[in-house]
Amino acid sequence: MFRRRFLPWDYGVRNLMRRPSRTVLTLGALSVVILLVFVVVGFIRGLEQSLSISGDPSAVLIYSMGAEDNIENSSIAARTPGLMSASLSGIQNRFSVSYVSPELYLGTRVTTIDAQGSGLGLVRGVSTVAPLVRRNVKIVEGEWPKLGEVMVGRLVATKLGSSPSSLAIGNEIEFEKHRWRISGVFTALGAAFESEIWCLLPELQQVLKRQDLSLVSILMKPGVGSQGVEIFCKQRTDLELQAISETAYYQSLQKHYKPMRMLGWLVVLLLAGAGVFAGLNMMYGAVTGRIRELATLQAMGYRRRAILVSILQEGLLLSAAGSLIAGVIALIFVNGVAVRFTMGAFSLRVDSVALLIGCGVGLLLGVAGAIPPALKALREPVAQSLKAI
Amino acid sequence: MVLRFCVWAFFGSFAIGMVGCGQQQVSTSTGSSLNRAYVTKTEPAGAIPVGEARSSAKSDEHVVLVGHIGGSAKPFVDGIAAFTVVDPKVPYCAAKEGCPTPWDYCCEQGQVKDNIALVQIVDDAGKTIAEDARKLLGVKELNLVVVSGKAQRDEAGNLTLLADKVFLKK
Repeated sequence: MFRRRFLPWDYGVRNLMRRPSRTVLTLGALSVVILLVFVVVGFIRGLEQSLSISGDPSAVLIYSMGAEDNIENSSIAARTPGLMSASLSGIQNRFSVSYVSPELYLGTRVTTIDAQGSGLGLVRGVSTVAPLVRRNVKIVEGEWPKLGEVMVGRLVATKLGSSPSSLAIGNEIEFEKHRWRISGVFTALGAAFESEIWCLLPELQQVLKRQDLSLVSILMKPGVGSQGVEIFCKQRTDLELQAISETAYYQSLQKHYKPMRMLGWLVVLLLAGAGVFAGLNMMYGAVTGRIRELATLQAMGYRRRAILVSILQEGLLLSAAGSLIAGVIALIFVNGVAVRFTMGAFSLRVDSVALLIGCGVGLLLGVAGAIPPALKALREPVAQSLKAI
Repeated sequence: MVLRFCVWAFFGSFAIGMVGCGQQQVSTSTGSSLNRAYVTKTEPAGAIPVGEARSSAKSDEHVVLVGHIGGSAKPFVDGIAAFTVVDPKVPYCAAKEGCPTPWDYCCEQGQVKDNIALVQIVDDAGKTIAEDARKLLGVKELNLVVVSGKAQRDEAGNLTLLADKVFLKK
C-alpha cells in the first residue's frame, strides 16, 4: 500500500487559520508567558551586567583591611594616595598626572528639593583625577561640579524613587544637612556609578568633618595588573590596607546576590511550567476536536509520525510567533527600564542571552505542549476515531 | 506559494533573532605541576617563628621561617608566587566555631599585625615567580610551611622573605 511521507507544510499553517479566535487567544497566552520570562531573565542579566561592567581590568582599589567587602566601612589615611604614587611603579601617568584617585564614599539620606524623592543615596567625593581612572564615566549634560555642586548619575532618580525632572541641572538636593546644586549628569555605560552622586572631595570631607578617605583607586598601565599593588599592601602590614582589582571586587559582590539570581531562575522555571500547562490545555482542546480529521488522514495513507510532525509544526509556529511578539515587546518596553536595589540601581537588559533563553523557553512550550495530546489522539484505532463525534 | 514564502520568511527572521549578536568571551588558563626547584622534601634546619624573625632578622640576612599560610581572607596574591605567613603561636578560629575563612585570624586580628610576614618565591635573578603559589607549590591556606630565603626589612618593621625553598610541614 502506498504510504505518503509527510503532510504538506501549508496544511499545518492553514489549520491555525481555520480557528482564528482560538489561535489568537493561545498566541496571546504564550506571548504573555514568554514576556514574563524575558522580564525575569532581563532582571538577572541586568544585575549581572551592572556588576561585571563596573570593573575596569586595569583599575585597582585600595581600602582598609577591616572593611572586608564593604568599601563604605573603609577608612584609610589621607596620605595613602601620595604614598602609593611614590612607592608603586606601573601606575598610569600622563603629563605628570598620576592616575591615583582619592575617594570618600558613603551611603546617606538624600532628599530632592521638591521632596518627591527621599532615600538612601550613594555619594562619592572625588577629585579631578576620578574621571581619568573611571574611564567609562562621561558627562552627558552640564559640567563638572564646583564648590557647593554635585553631578548625578543617570540612575540616581531611580535610586531615590524620584522623577528625573527633580534632578535636572540647576535643581538642588540635600544631604548631610547641606544643599547642593546639580551641575551635571553623567553616564557610565551601565556601571554601578550611574546610581551615585559625585561631589568635590575636599568639600565632602569638610561637611562630614572627616580627614580620612574611604579608598584610593588606581589605574595601572596596560598589562601591569594588580599584583604589584597587592604585594605592596601585604608588605606594608603597618598600613592595614588591602588591594583588589576592580573587576575582582565587583565579582565578589556578585556572590551576595546569588540567592536573588537563584530565585530569579526558579521563577523562570515556574513560569515555563505554567506555560507548558497552558500549551497542553490548548493543544488538547485543538486535537480533541480534530480526531476524525486525523483518522481520515491516516485512512488516506499518512503515517502517524507525519501527522504528529504536522501537529508539532502547528505548536512550534504558534510558540515561535509568541516568542517573536514577546521579544519585540521586551526589547521596546522592558529593555533599559531602571530598577532600584540595595547597592544602587541598574537597567533591565534584554540582551542576546536573554533573547536566547526567552525564545528557547517559548519553543519548548510549543513542543512540550503539542506532543502529549497528539500522541493521545493517534493512539486510538482509525476505525473508532472515524466514528468520533 | 505566497503562504509558503511567508512561513519560511517568518522562520528565517526567527532564526536570525535567535542567533543575535552575542559577545564572544575568550578565556585562557595556564596549568602547572609542582615545581621541584622550589619545593624541598627535607625540612630546612634552624627555622624560627615569624614573630621572632620580625624582631631579630636583618635585611639581606638568610632566614628560615615557620608559619601558617594566612593573615587575611586572601593570603595568596593571584597570579604570582607570593603569600603571607603567620606565627604558629597565633591561634586561628577552630573548626567548631564555623568560621568560613579561619585563615584570616578574625578572632585574633590584634596579634596578627606583629606576627606576619610576606613570602615571595623568587628565581635566581631575584624576580618573583609569575605563577600562583597554590599551583607552583601545592599549598593552601593554613598549611604550616617552613621557608628559607633572604630577609628584607623596612623602616616600619615589616618583614618580607625572598624565598628560594619551601617545605610543607603539614
